[in-house]
Amino acid sequence: MEIKLTRRKFLLTAGTIAVANLLPPPVDSEAMVSSNSFATLIDLTKCDGCKNYSVPLCVSACKEANRDKFPEPDRKMLKPYWPQKFFDDWSSKRDVIDRLTPYNWIFVQRIKINKEGKEEEIFVPRRCMHCDNPPCAKLCPFGVNKKHPEGPVTIDCKLCFGGAKCKDVCPWGVPQRQAGVGVYTYLDPLPVGGGVMYKCDLCFDRVKKGQNPVCVNKCPKNAISFGRREEIFAKADLLAREKKLYIYGKEENGGTSTLYLSPVTFEELDKAVLQENKEKKQVMRFHKPKNMLDKYKNLAKLILLSPFVAIISAFISAKKVNRED
Amino acid sequence: MKGNNNKVYRHTKLEIAIHWLTAVSGIALIISGLGEMPMYKRYNITKLPFLSFLGSYEINLVIHYLFASLFIFAVFFHIVYHLRRKELSLLPKKGDLKESYLVLKAIIKGEKEPPHEKFLAEQRLAYVAIGSVSLVLIITGLIKTYKNIGPVVLNPDFLMIVTLVHTVFTMFFIILFVLHIGAFIVKDNRELLKSMFTGYVKYEYAKRRHPKWIEQIEKTSK
Repeated sequence: MEIKLTRRKFLLTAGTIAVANLLPPPVDSEAMVSSNSFATLIDLTKCDGCKNYSVPLCVSACKEANRDKFPEPDRKMLKPYWPQKFFDDWSSKRDVIDRLTPYNWIFVQRIKINKEGKEEEIFVPRRCMHCDNPPCAKLCPFGVNKKHPEGPVTIDCKLCFGGAKCKDVCPWGVPQRQAGVGVYTYLDPLPVGGGVMYKCDLCFDRVKKGQNPVCVNKCPKNAISFGRREEIFAKADLLAREKKLYIYGKEENGGTSTLYLSPVTFEELDKAVLQENKEKKQVMRFHKPKNMLDKYKNLAKLILLSPFVAIISAFISAKKVNRED
Repeated sequence: MKGNNNKVYRHTKLEIAIHWLTAVSGIALIISGLGEMPMYKRYNITKLPFLSFLGSYEINLVIHYLFASLFIFAVFFHIVYHLRRKELSLLPKKGDLKESYLVLKAIIKGEKEPPHEKFLAEQRLAYVAIGSVSLVLIITGLIKTYKNIGPVVLNPDFLMIVTLVHTVFTMFFIILFVLHIGAFIVKDNRELLKSMFTGYVKYEYAKRRHPKWIEQIEKTSK
């Protein structure tokens, strides 16, 4: 049988092949992130919040290791973000350890739960989840919030404007802003920017050298494991199966590289967190956020398709008009 | 010569449709693109009536995605269609810079402009400027969109450059857009605006301002 290849057929076929090659297949997030990247497993059955220490050791180790990265604001720049009446300044509250701040990139959440009539406490080290498809990094208007192939999500403090969009789009509100530092200070008195955003960078400098993040090494209970993603995920699955534990972080926000193992469900933990922090404006929850970018990925694909559709339509239209002429 | 009632046919319906598709989607992209910068809340724009939605990054993202697909469609359609039709009169010609200067001088001093072709020399230059900026925005925008499809991890430094270029060229796009609108301050240019709705310009206007174009039409219709 003879197949007649017209120009229109050729263009349609070529366009379809090009689009099919351009778009990645619809796979789940786990498969798209390199198994060779790094992940963390935090076992809540082991963490006791360092009861015998004044400051949990993961927290003190993080503060010590990142001391040089903490902001030293220009006092003159500590003024409201015009026309707003507020500004974010944590420089006089550097000792705060019960939440994330620009000077505290990990904290231990203490959650009281009721288990079979008995009140129990669960201790949860909380910091950036280092998401697989992080809206904070992918929607940063300056591209200074970066997702690295190794897994960590980092912020380039030298170029950050401190607009705090990353904090708004993070389901856990992780990045924290300090005024009086960063590039926006050079633009004063122009009312733009607000400082620099700070958060856990998973000790990326250490990870690149083959070392563990400091919080992992300092944990006296070995509650935090760090390693290749494939191994960490396999370990989490095995422990969850064997000890009947619950996993958090695998699906949330489209997948993350931080997994939690808990003896109680995360719905229960989330409920308890909300109950205990009713008055607080911002609470780090254990909810099940959907990834904003995943939600609209079909619209994104439409954009990638539009040049091909346009080229084919233009060819056909021009040919028709040329013929009429 | 096409047209009637002393009118000259300047734009086809398809050209008009593509022009307005580009314009409307371009405006929507500017608004939603600025909304992806943390500024509407900061400057209290969201407190204005009916504009609270601009404070949502998610809504701005959806608007940006929808209109980006229309904008890209319009730009690619325009390029390919006119290349296929060999309609290249909007591309700059030798001497356009000098002619633009003379036209501007004539407009400012109220003197007689040099005779124009279908398009003014500065229109041809502005076309290339806005076209090049649009293409840079489209290319960087496509890369930015690709990485949003899923957990796609591109080189973060490359992405930073792409993102910065997209943001900076957005500013250029806004400037060129304002200049484009500003061109209608010149009374004579408003006839051209009308033609972007009707497709026609008055014969007297065309004969007076675009004699080279009319000459060409008359020559080909003989």
